[in-house]
Amino acid sequence: MWAYIVKRLLLSIPVIFGVAFMVFAMVRIVPGDPARIIAGEAATQEIVEGIRKDMGLDQPLLKQFATFVGNVLRGDFGRSVRSKAPVAGEVAARLPNTIRLATAGLCVAVVVGVSAGIISAIRPYSWMDTVVMLVALAGLSMPVFWSGLMLILIFAVWLGWLPAVGTGGMAHLVLPAVTLGMSTAAIIARMSRSSMLEVLRSDYIRTARAKGLAEAAVVNRHAFRNALIPVITVVGLQMGTLLSGAVLTETVFAWPGIGRLLVEGILSRDYPIVQASVLVVAMAFVMVNLTVDVLYAVVDPRIHYD
Amino acid sequence: MAAIALTGALVISAAAAPAVTPTRGGTLIVGSGVDAVTLDAPMITDSPSATVAEHMVESLYRLTPEGRIVPMLALGHTVSPDGRTWTVRLRTGVRFHDGTPFDAEAAKFNLDRMLDPATRAAFRFLLCGPATCVTSVTVVDSSTIRLVTNTTFAPLLAHLTHSSMGMQSPTAVRRLGVDYARQPVGTGAFKFKEWVRGDRVVMTRNDDYWGEKAFLDEVQFRVIPDDGARVAALEAGSIHVAVRVPPREIERLKGARDFTVSVDDSLRTIYVGFNVTRPPFNDGRLRRALNHAVNKRAIVNGALYGTARVSDAPIVPAIEGYSKIMTYEWDLERAEALLREAGYTRARPLRAVFHHPSGRYIRDAEIAASIQGLVRRAGIELELRTMEWGAYLALTNRPQPENDVQMYMLGWGTVTGDADYGLYALFHSSQWVPAGSNRSFYKNERVDALLDRGRSTMDQAERNKIYADAMKVIMDDAPWLFLHSESQVTGIRHTAQGVVVHPAERVELFKAWIRR
Repeated sequence: MWAYIVKRLLLSIPVIFGVAFMVFAMVRIVPGDPARIIAGEAATQEIVEGIRKDMGLDQPLLKQFATFVGNVLRGDFGRSVRSKAPVAGEVAARLPNTIRLATAGLCVAVVVGVSAGIISAIRPYSWMDTVVMLVALAGLSMPVFWSGLMLILIFAVWLGWLPAVGTGGMAHLVLPAVTLGMSTAAIIARMSRSSMLEVLRSDYIRTARAKGLAEAAVVNRHAFRNALIPVITVVGLQMGTLLSGAVLTETVFAWPGIGRLLVEGILSRDYPIVQASVLVVAMAFVMVNLTVDVLYAVVDPRIHYD
Repeated sequence: MAAIALTGALVISAAAAPAVTPTRGGTLIVGSGVDAVTLDAPMITDSPSATVAEHMVESLYRLTPEGRIVPMLALGHTVSPDGRTWTVRLRTGVRFHDGTPFDAEAAKFNLDRMLDPATRAAFRFLLCGPATCVTSVTVVDSSTIRLVTNTTFAPLLAHLTHSSMGMQSPTAVRRLGVDYARQPVGTGAFKFKEWVRGDRVVMTRNDDYWGEKAFLDEVQFRVIPDDGARVAALEAGSIHVAVRVPPREIERLKGARDFTVSVDDSLRTIYVGFNVTRPPFNDGRLRRALNHAVNKRAIVNGALYGTARVSDAPIVPAIEGYSKIMTYEWDLERAEALLREAGYTRARPLRAVFHHPSGRYIRDAEIAASIQGLVRRAGIELELRTMEWGAYLALTNRPQPENDVQMYMLGWGTVTGDADYGLYALFHSSQWVPAGSNRSFYKNERVDALLDRGRSTMDQAERNKIYADAMKVIMDDAPWLFLHSESQVTGIRHTAQGVVVHPAERVELFKAWIRR
């Protein structure tokens, strides 16, 4: 197991390096001059050229990349070209917010999704199943900027129970977590349902029932754990998506996370910000995937990584 | 819709002039669409940063919301008879928030920093441009500085009001270096407390302020990027002021009990520029035809829900030097006649490519689409090219020989409040991009001469006449399709009193207070 983990971690180095190069190249290929954006539409060309020089953009591309990699290896992500703030600090300030939101969102998604999926699977094709799956479909189809605003309208504006936007205590986390978790819950519900249905039709479940076990015991003790394996894959993938794809939720709820930092970085051609944010998200993806693979072995002892 | 705009303006005047005695204390929260970028005055190029910074950092002079220039950290000034030496007397006994005295040395430090090309100040040209330049700043005594210019530089006073000329503590700037941008130290009514990037800037009252002290204990500028969420936060009472309320919300919010939506003029003119050096728009008849073919009133009332003012000059009324020139009336027959004269018919229509940004100005993409629809009625076919802002600026900023953009939409905020800044950079032939901001490559010797004279004439009445003459020629030449000036739509809760919406796209809280 440990050898496997170390091997996977070593394999992730070229992945991260590849991501770094692609992001580095991509932000530079996209048209738009960061120096001009920083200087604004009124600045003289002389100032724009000066800013370009300060940013090192007058250097050949490969040299820029070498400098970038060298700096990153020393732990220096540079400074934001717009705000001049150290990028490492910017990312470090935003990352905990995103992790908090993604984790809370995932908790909502897993609890709601798995329960809904199992309820549906126990009584397949019943009215309950239909209702649950219809709700799941609605959850999946609703765009975040709409569902988020609706939640704000109901729980912050009309009822006044929860804060509308921003960060703060636990109360601030509820609405964005529910919004973010909603579509993921729908995916997990559908996955849990089909996985559970498949397991419930297998021979060992028939055996368990034939033994005369109560249905609750069959579902909880025998079916549930086996039905979880494909669900864990989905949850793992979704965690990655939640970490990187929470941009809309972060925007609607004015949540200062890394998704928004990335989008703001792209819009203002803030190369160092974009590079650092993508690298961090890529690393998070790698780590989440590894964790999921390790979890398989925990859930299903038949799986070995030797 | 015009009635709504007017009502809004009246309501805000009432809110700005409190009827009851202001009380001290409390925290006022402003919800803004974007975070500040930098709080180092010379580096600021955007109004959200300037709004935040101006509460902490003051300039020598200030442009009031009414458009007057008043002394701030200066007490007054004299200009030598040749108009080239400005002696500015400074306020005494003022200290920066870190205790450093504000004196002539500090003022010189800040102006020199602005003038130093190594600072990379985008607005350096306000002090030193291609034609007019402050050549030296000297300390006369502890409370007097002297600015010498290479030629008569009439708009200099207006330029000294600009937020990038803010007076910042030399001690802090030297000590913090590049990190100063995140913790400014000025002389203002509020002191910097914290900046959680992407979330909020917090400042507290400066109890040692040299002037009339603020009522509020604390001010927060919160970032709420989503328009709908920002309005919802205002409705829920999470914030006191919401800037940039989408115009479409005005109707829905009209009946609100707890807050008012105010509509205030800004200094920003929106226009569509033509490249006057290349076909087809090197033909003035076609430029005038487009001006006649677009119903600006329909755009203002439709796309902007009445929250804008149809342009009757290249600059807006709040700017010193403005005078009403004319508006190209919506006249399809006239447009078609001009097109025919230039050799275009319905069978052989005028075709052009129209570049525009999306999301930069209020409903810019919708306005571009409206223009496309409106001119089609006159038999003009426009192909729209929507572009992302960064790429768009780069495209329109190319020098004349390689610039093949035919039509482009842009806005210009004349933030100094002086006609020179609104006309010189955009219409003088020395200002063709990339050197200046004349993206139409407009060149008219008479306009050049008039704009040069406007810069070198110290008498304001005389200057106003010169600018009126220049604007007449410009409007007649029509290097632009003159559209409108934007309004600022701001939601303000009734508990927040004394909030001022400044035409330079700022929300000012110097005299604001919380009604309990």
